[in-house]
Order: sequence, then C-alpha cells, then structure tokens
Amino acid sequence: MTQRSKEAHALFLILVGLLAWVVPGAGHLAINKKKHAIIIFVTIVLTFCTGLYIGSVGIIDSVGAKPWFIAQLMNSPAVATLGRMSQTGDYAVYAKPNEIGQIYTSIAGLLNLLCIVNAVYWAHLRRTQINGV
Amino acid sequence: MSIINSLIIANFTVPEKIDVNPQSILWLLPLVAAIAIVYKVTKTPKIKASSFLKEVVILFGSIVIFMAVTAIVLCAVAWLSTE
Repeated sequence: MTQRSKEAHALFLILVGLLAWVVPGAGHLAINKKKHAIIIFVTIVLTFCTGLYIGSVGIIDSVGAKPWFIAQLMNSPAVATLGRMSQTGDYAVYAKPNEIGQIYTSIAGLLNLLCIVNAVYWAHLRRTQINGV
Repeated sequence: MSIINSLIIANFTVPEKIDVNPQSILWLLPLVAAIAIVYKVTKTPKIKASSFLKEVVILFGSIVIFMAVTAIVLCAVAWLSTE
C-alpha cells in the first residue's frame, strides 16, 4: 500500500468507528453488512430504551454515577444530551429500577463498544484482503 | 411539541415499580438475550436465519445454565458457612 492509500485507509477506519458510535449498527452498514447493522441497531436500541423505561431518564447521571455514565455514553454521543437533561433533577429515580435501568443501559453501551471494535476490525480485514497485504 | 411526542417522553420520565423479590431476577433474561444476539452477530461473518437463531439460543441457554449453577454453588457455600 502507498502512503496515500494507507492514510485513506486509516481515515476510513476512523469514519467507520465514528459512525458505529453515533448510530449503533451504522459502522456495519458502511461496510455493506446490512443484516448485521439491522440486528445490532434493533438489539442495542431496544436494550437501551428498556433500561430508560425501567429506571427513567434519571439513571443517566453524569455526576453521581460517572463509571456507569461512561459505559452509557458508548451507546451514542446523544446520551450526553440525556445526561444534561437529567442533571436538572426533574426525573425521579430510586432503588431497584435505578439498578436495573443502569445495568441495561450500561450493558447496551458496552455491547455497542464491542460492535464498534468489530466494525473497524472487519473494515480493516476487508481492505487488507482486497490488497492482499 | 406534539401530544404523541409528549406521551412517548412521559414513558421515560417515571421509573417502573419493581419490588425486591426472587422474581426480579427474571429481568436478567432479556439482557442475556441481547448479549447473546450481539455477541453472535460479531462472530458470524455471514448471517443465515436458521443457524444464527440456533447459535443464539445455545449461547443464551449456556449463559443462563452457567449462572444458575453458579447461584446454586454460592447458595450452598453460604448455607454451609452459616450452619
């Protein structure tokens, strides 16, 4: 691979990673894996929404539950907006629903992180297979 | 904001009522299903409905059985150490 094509490849990998983070499954869509993209999108969004439904928006707490928030942020950067909303303190959150909601939303985030890494890996693998490197 | 939007958002502003009882453990099942599906998606280069479903069900069952066995062992250890 030439220097220029290496740079383009690195940029493409970054783009795939960013897409996969912004919208779950979009990274796989970018590398023409439609079935994978649909399954990932539906599963992760459903898991995240189930967590929000159980515990309310208040479970996204960027101040009092920072480690959980970092995992939740892996779902999408849009989660930061929800974090800002919940900082107003208008959303009730307590006890068991809080625990279950946090676990659901954080696991959804970590699953999306797995998908981001997977999309980038497959994008890299596809390119190196095409070039025979 | 439209009424439909308000109704949808309202669903996510109040927590559900979940008691602390043995039944609340069942909340792990949808989560295990999500983990099994996403993990298998990342491991399968070409997805075919029948084989994919089979692999997901096997992984789901394996996780649930392993967790049940772990719970039984931990209960036994706790029981033995307190008797």
